[in-house]
Amino acid sequence: MTFSSLVRGTAASALVLMAGSAAAEPLKIALVETLSGPQASTGLLYRSAVQYEIGKLNEQGGFGGEEIVLAEYDNQGGPVGAADRVRAAIADGAQIILQGSSSAVAGQVTEDVRKHNLRNPGNEVLYVNLGAEAMELTGEKCHFYHFRVSPNAAIRVGTLVEGMREADALGERVYAMNQNYSWGVDVQENTKAAAEEMGFEVVEETLHDVNKIQDFAPYVARIQAAHADTVITGNWSNDLLLLMKAASSAGLEARFGTAFLDQPGNVGNAGAVAEGHFVSTPFNAETNPDLSGPFVEDYKAATGHYPSYVEPAAAFGIRLLGEALGQVEPTEAGVDVTALAQALETVSIETPMGELSIRPEDHQAVLPMVVQTVSRDAVYKADDTEFGFKPVKLISAEDAAAPVQDSCEMQRPG
Amino acid sequence: MDQLVFALLNGTIYGLLLFMVSAGLTLIFGMMGVLNFAHASFYMLGAYFAYTLEPLTGFWAAILLSPLLVTGIGVLVEKFILRRVHAFGHAHELLVTFGLSVVIAELIKMGYGNFPVDYRVPPELRFAAFSISGIDYPFYRLFMGAIALVMFAAIYLLLTRTRVGIVVRSAIYRPQMVEALGHNVPLVFMGVFGVGAGLAGLAGAVAGAFYTTNPNMALELGVVVFVVVVVGGLGSMGGAMLASLLIGITNSLAVGSNLRPADLFALVGQRDWAEQIGGLMTVQLSSLAATLPFLIMLIVLVVRPSGLMGEKE
Repeated sequence: MTFSSLVRGTAASALVLMAGSAAAEPLKIALVETLSGPQASTGLLYRSAVQYEIGKLNEQGGFGGEEIVLAEYDNQGGPVGAADRVRAAIADGAQIILQGSSSAVAGQVTEDVRKHNLRNPGNEVLYVNLGAEAMELTGEKCHFYHFRVSPNAAIRVGTLVEGMREADALGERVYAMNQNYSWGVDVQENTKAAAEEMGFEVVEETLHDVNKIQDFAPYVARIQAAHADTVITGNWSNDLLLLMKAASSAGLEARFGTAFLDQPGNVGNAGAVAEGHFVSTPFNAETNPDLSGPFVEDYKAATGHYPSYVEPAAAFGIRLLGEALGQVEPTEAGVDVTALAQALETVSIETPMGELSIRPEDHQAVLPMVVQTVSRDAVYKADDTEFGFKPVKLISAEDAAAPVQDSCEMQRPG
Repeated sequence: MDQLVFALLNGTIYGLLLFMVSAGLTLIFGMMGVLNFAHASFYMLGAYFAYTLEPLTGFWAAILLSPLLVTGIGVLVEKFILRRVHAFGHAHELLVTFGLSVVIAELIKMGYGNFPVDYRVPPELRFAAFSISGIDYPFYRLFMGAIALVMFAAIYLLLTRTRVGIVVRSAIYRPQMVEALGHNVPLVFMGVFGVGAGLAGLAGAVAGAFYTTNPNMALELGVVVFVVVVVGGLGSMGGAMLASLLIGITNSLAVGSNLRPADLFALVGQRDWAEQIGGLMTVQLSSLAATLPFLIMLIVLVVRPSGLMGEKE
């Protein structure tokens, strides 16, 4: 290579570099979810909610005049896969990580994001937790770049027992039946903590293996022996379904208060067995119908189904993120993540259920909750059955909120 | 006392269900030496076929036809897939059946969706058989147990009392001799594989209605079924029955107990010390119930590697 061609080459590449820096990078958001394998069903629901809301943001002009890029990464259901995918997402230039299913995976993602931000000041990434509800994520593991837009165990249990008590369905003897990992333990602890205020007694508590048990008959025999009026359980998926079916076939009279009864397929599979059981979630399409109706119909037009289970909370969370994006200016890299995080602490939106915001102390969402029961009278039926979720009580964001945990020591930037 | 009766009954019935699925697996291994990873997938297929057929034919015909369909699929799998890789050895067979289980699970998801389907016990079978101190015992559980017992008796008699049984058993030990005597050994193997798959299909059709029919059901049961077969001794029908009952009953008793390791130390007056240590010492046995089968497997493998009633080393 001659000297002149070397000079020309260098000049050309310098020009290319300058051109690159002149135009801002589009904002890149990575969804790191379980998109394949046994637990994919929930991950796919998060995907549909995220796609729907990011689509809306892009219809309104995206961010900084460019379309927001949504990249999907399959974490294959475990923390190991998630750690790997988070690294890949950051390497691909993602500045915001979205994840929701499984508190075990979320625990890994939030630690990875925290460490990345420690090591790369100025190039932080933001983790928006769409639905992992273990307390530790806004407790000992809390940090400035983690935001939870869904309820947590304390909010779920607190609103559930309050709503059930008001509907005169709680009784005095409560059995806590939960899965043996962070989320299940949290539900158990919060059930015990609520006992005195709500005037019930936790007669027995059981932690069992997660999604390994086929036969719940022995557990039902224990509930029966404890003479429980109500079973409060954080179980989800098969662990909830099998527990309810075993209880019904043993003729158990106890009522179930749950966190995830609205998972698609549950009511369809359990049928009349689910009738009269309770669940507390951030959304019910029958509440505030003039606001909820247009949302669910538009959601159905875009995705082919009514939003259910984790979808509404995730969609509202992305909407809140969009509101915060409106408060910050685009930068060359996409967005100033620290400024975005600060904006997220201050913005609030009106969802069909009421006001949604994030409190700055621990970055937990403060959001309204709807306590509901499985009934034939519900307007929106679940799983093509004659049953649906009938709202019992709408609890405002303020009343639903649980206190900030002492274990959260957040290091704020600057 | 009533609690104990229930625990034993629950454990026995669950054990019999495990036997229904593991019977086919141990049969296939005993006859053909193939460790069939896709076996629990046949269980799942049985449940989904019965779910599909039920609206057309009614419940009874569905649980009869569905195992036949699964048998057909088993026959095709043996004839067109397993037979081709048989020559390459066990590792290849293992991989093929593993791949097959993944393919079946994904096909089910494509056809029926990610969530449980509403396959339920028909209303006329949904009643309590009897009731002790306020707990109903569902008739359907007894029904499942009865089917498992009939199945055990039928297989046992078929293998020991009929001409077909003689041919099948001799085809295991001396296939070339049996072939020389004019029997079609590949046909025998195909039949055994088909019947084994069909038994799992029957278990699925019956149990899918009682538990749940979902795309993960193969995965959930598959591991325990392997434990049963290993504990019982690979290839031993009686061993599979014994191990199924052992695991079912231990599981059920463990769930009902509040025993903690710390309580054992109470025997030597060290309970307080053990409770201070915390951690494993204060874990209740009931929260480890689903792990116990693996502990049993570990102990059996250490003490008696061929399994409780296994002959082959």
